Parts: sequence; structure tokens; C-alpha cells
Amino acid sequence: MSGKLNAVLALALVGCALSVVNARYQARHLLIELERLQQQSRQLEIDWAQLQLDQSTLGKNERIEQIARASLNMAPLTPARTQYLTEGAK
Amino acid sequence: MTRTDRRANGRVAASKGVAFTKSPVLAVNVPNWRSRVVLFILFFAFAALAAKAMWLQGVSSQFLQKQGKSRYERTLELPATRGKITDRNGAVLASSLPVRAVWAIPEDLLNNPPEKIAALARLLEMPELDLRKKLDSDRTFVYLKRQVEMPVIAEIEKLKLEGLDTRKEYKRFYPQGETMTHLVGFTNVEDVGQEGMELFHQKALMGVPGSRRVIKDRLGHIAEDLGMFREPHQGKDLTLSVDSKLQYIAFTSVKNAVEKFNAQAGGAVVLDVHTGEVLAMANYPTYNPNDRKKLTGAQLRNRVITDTFEPGSTIKPITVALGLETKRITPDTVFDVSPGYMTVTGKRIRDTHNYGVRTVGGIIQKSSNIGVVKISQMIPAQEMWELYTKLGYGQAPRFGFPGATAGRVRPWKSWKPIEYANMAFGHGLSVSLLQMARSYMIFARNGDIIPLSFLKVDEEPVGQQVISPKTAAQVRTMLESVVGPEGTASKAQVPGYRVGGKTGTAEKIVNGRYSRTDNIGYFVGIAPMSKPRFVIAVMIDNPRGALRTGGSVAAPTAADLAANALRAANVPPDSSITDIIIPEEPVEESIDDA
Repeated sequence: MSGKLNAVLALALVGCALSVVNARYQARHLLIELERLQQQSRQLEIDWAQLQLDQSTLGKNERIEQIARASLNMAPLTPARTQYLTEGAK
Repeated sequence: MTRTDRRANGRVAASKGVAFTKSPVLAVNVPNWRSRVVLFILFFAFAALAAKAMWLQGVSSQFLQKQGKSRYERTLELPATRGKITDRNGAVLASSLPVRAVWAIPEDLLNNPPEKIAALARLLEMPELDLRKKLDSDRTFVYLKRQVEMPVIAEIEKLKLEGLDTRKEYKRFYPQGETMTHLVGFTNVEDVGQEGMELFHQKALMGVPGSRRVIKDRLGHIAEDLGMFREPHQGKDLTLSVDSKLQYIAFTSVKNAVEKFNAQAGGAVVLDVHTGEVLAMANYPTYNPNDRKKLTGAQLRNRVITDTFEPGSTIKPITVALGLETKRITPDTVFDVSPGYMTVTGKRIRDTHNYGVRTVGGIIQKSSNIGVVKISQMIPAQEMWELYTKLGYGQAPRFGFPGATAGRVRPWKSWKPIEYANMAFGHGLSVSLLQMARSYMIFARNGDIIPLSFLKVDEEPVGQQVISPKTAAQVRTMLESVVGPEGTASKAQVPGYRVGGKTGTAEKIVNGRYSRTDNIGYFVGIAPMSKPRFVIAVMIDNPRGALRTGGSVAAPTAADLAANALRAANVPPDSSITDIIIPEEPVEESIDDA
């Protein structure tokens, strides 16, 4: 009787030990994955900052005005040639 | 086998014939204690080992554990970036990006083939001679170039140079460049704020890198995270009150004016009437914050906020407002300002023309010095001083900006009668353009004044009442008349909008005396008058052309600024007049020689 119990306990012990090994292995893999994703998130943040910077540089009012005037032949609006529509007015 | 054979192999025979324990060799009479001694020594040796093991495992474990850790643990730096600065609409004004500092071990680097070193010099954009000069050193660490951008680094790494390495650092970029730089400021190579908002909000913007400890495996992967060593502290983002578009408009107006009127410098500020936010603050000459190699003091100077000047005629509405508020005068009170000059304790005060008999409104419209002096003579000096203090003249500014000046107002008890008379038209006290603009808030709002802010404001601040709404409205009417064909600021008219304001011209003080040749022209205005939205102040420093007064240099600049700003802010026009009338010879205020 006690021989059988010992065998069962031994098996359970081996099982537990293997599951610990497995858990450690999984944890390590997940950690590496987490690390990779964090690295990616940092890189994306840098890219985002770079893009915001580019947006601001390209959206510079000076540049827009120059392009509008020179390439698109646009001129600033004046009230003299603007029709204002007021809601509710006749 | 013969006997002789046996004898020759005697040892074999002995081992065969005699049991080991019975060997006669062993039968030596050794005293018993000798084996005990050996036994004891062995026991003692083991005990010593056990004690040492216990000592290392239990008592002095720390030292060895530390040594162990240092052999398998690694400390990783957790980067922290400096916060971004954005305008009120989220456009980036300043942002940090990772770059690299390139450094070398000179001796090792010089072992590389010369053509590779030439290629490196080309990539670093420095003459090869300079590079070699830098490498001609006994030191083992030499910075070759700092703040090198990433694409260049990738090129350099392709060269695979020996003795060359890089270090991570950050570079601050200012996409809006010269337009915004006096407001935003800049940082130095160590990412520490040096000017403007970058300096004032250094603590909040600054990022503090953290670190954590990990165990790495053979392949360089992190095998185990041992936790945070020091938490990284990311820099906070800052949203300024400034509007990029209005700032560009203000900057362009000032720049054009400085060039057109051949002036030394110029400045402009646009305030939001409802929130006290500084929507634009422009200065010219300026500089590019991304390239500060040739920076002069004149370029760096923020004339709107750190320079003081005598407000000149722009202070007259303040004097009049106090008279109206204390009921000593009404808008229709009549003053005789002929014959164009008067004397106060022996000193003469002049107007440009003899304006004869004028109402209070007329005095403001024509900017009569004599008129305001006569009004000020009805008001005790202490009351005037109290009003100046409420408006913030001579008071340390409470908005956060480095180097902002308090201006100068002497205590009223020391005012002599002639000095008080001079102050009524803006001499003998000094303010900054921003302070002047802020004080006009009492007219633009209904008599109350609010604190200014360089950061975006979420809720409207509660104002402190200085004058009654009635007085504010009365002065507004006068200010509007100044910007009419009959007033001194006829050139400040804006097609489609009703605007009001006051011009000013003051001689600069050079070496402690009023200069005959150098003067500053100002205009402080409110737009649109039907529902004030902006307070606009413009300063043109030392115009050298034919036009020199505030009315002829600052007023048209302000008009240009206001027209574009109102359009950009989608403010509906409140006037049907689109053709403005500027008289051939507009009324000019005097260039006061008090």
C-alpha cells in the first residue's frame, strides 16, 4: 500500500517539476516578447515625434503662404470682396 | 619453478603468502596517540571548512552575493525624453529626438585606412584637417561631434571604423524657427533650457532617465527582470497659449514694418481679451534657434517683455479713465488747451498744434498733452499711483516668463508737480509693451483686469475691477475716435472692422538724456470694438525713415496685424465700411520733448 502511494507521489512530484520547468520557459519567452514590444513602442514614439515635427515643419505658415502665393496664385481675402452670410438675417 | 626464481619474485610470494594485516612491516610499534593526532587534525580541518562555509552562506553573504550579481546582472538605462512644447492647437513648437554624440579613441581610430577617415570627416561635415587635429591628442576619449542625426550615424556605422563609438543623447528641434523663438526659447547641448519657456518650465519639461536591473542570457535577450532600480521620469508636455497662425501674422507684420520704416527693431503682442492668454508675441530682429552659431544680443533680446520704455501718449487714456471714474470730469467736459503750450512750475509743456477748446474726447483724439495735464491736475497723485499699481505698472509680473521686467514707477510722495504732469502723458515712468497691452484690458473688458498667461488657459479667469463698466465704455468710444480720419491713428483703420486704440511716440533715453534723433513709436489697440476679442500692441524702435511717429509707423503695422488676425480667427466683420479714409496729412501727436 505504502509502495503504491510512494509511486503516485513520485509521479506527481516529477509532474510538478516538469510544469515548473515549462512555466519558467514560458515566462522567459513572454518576457523576451514583452521586451521586444516595449522596444517597438519606444521606436514608434520616436517615429511619432518625428512625424509631428515634420508636420509642424511642413505646415509652417511661412511655407504655406509662399506656396499659396507663388505656385497657386492665391491672394489674401479682403472684406471688400467677401460676401458674409448671417444665419437668420434676411 | 626453481627456488632462485621464487627468491627473485619475493614480493609476489610475500603477498601471496602473508595476509596484509599480518605483514611484518606493519608490525611496528607505533604509539596510539599518533593516529589520534591525525584524526584530530582531519576533524579540525573539516570543522574549519564548515565554519567558513557557514560564515560565507549565513553571516557575510552580502559581499559575495553582490559580487555574483555584478557578474550576471546588467543595469539598463530607461530613457526619458524632454517634454514637447506645443501651441494652443497642438502644433509642435519644440520636440526632442534621439541623436548620437560621436566619440573616438584617437590612437585606435588613426589605425584605420586614411580614405575611411576622409569619409568620416565628410560625413561629420568637418574638414579632414580639423578632424585630424582633434585626434592629435593623448587622451583616450575625444568627442568628434555632438548631436549627429540618426541617418548620418547609420552611414558612419557602415564604415566599420575601429576606435569609434557613439553615445546616445537628445537634440531639440524647433520647427517654427525664428518666428516663435523669443517665446519658446531654446536649450543647450545638454538639453537644459536657456531662454524663454524652455528656461522657465525647465523643471516640468525635463526628463530624468531611470534604470532597471535585468539578467541577460547568452544571446543578449533579457532572461529575467529584477525590477526597477530607479523609475524614469518623463518630461511633461507643455501647451502654450500662443497660436502659431497669429504668431506668424504678428511676426510678418513686425518684420515688414521694421524693413519698411528702416527701423532698428520692432515688437508686437496679441492678447486674448477673454482669457488673458498671450496669443502672439513677436520680435524682430530674430534668430534661428536651430542654428545659433552667430547669435547677437540684439537678436536675442525680447523687446516686448524685457525692455522698458516710457509709454508716452499711450498712457493718456489711463489718465482720462481715472478722471471719469472719480467723476471729476465727464466725456463732455471742455478744456481750453490754447495756445498750444502751458507752464508747470516754470517748465513748458507743448502740443504740436493749438487745438483751441476741446472736450475730453477731443483731447484723446488729438492726443493733446496740455489737455491730459489739466485733467491730471484735478486728481491727487496718490490716486494716480494707486491706479498704476492696480494696472501692474512697476509691479513684478506674475505670468511666468524669465527676464520679464517690472517697469518703474516711483512712489507718489516723491513726485514733483512737473513730474506728475509729465507722467500724465507718459514720461517719467517706464513699462514693458506687454504691461501696456495688459492695462488696456480694462477698456477691452468691462473695467476689470485679468492675469496674463503664457500657457493655455482652460477656464476664464476672474477679473479684478479697476474702473466701472460705464467708464470703460466711455473710453472705448474715445479710443475708436482716435482711429478715425480725424484722429492720430487714422492709419490704424481696418477695412470691415471697428477698431480703437491709442498711439504713442517717445524719445529714447540715450546716456541718460532724451535723444533728439532716436524715438520709439507705439500703438495699443482693441479689435473689434463691437465685441472686443484682441488687445494688440505694437512697438517700432528707432524708425530712421521719413515717418517716425507712433501714428505713422506703429498704427499701420497694427492695422495690418489686426486685419489678418481677425480674418484668421474668423471674427465676423462689424463694420460695413471697407474703404478706409486716411487724410493726406494725418494728425500727428508730438514727439514729446519733456
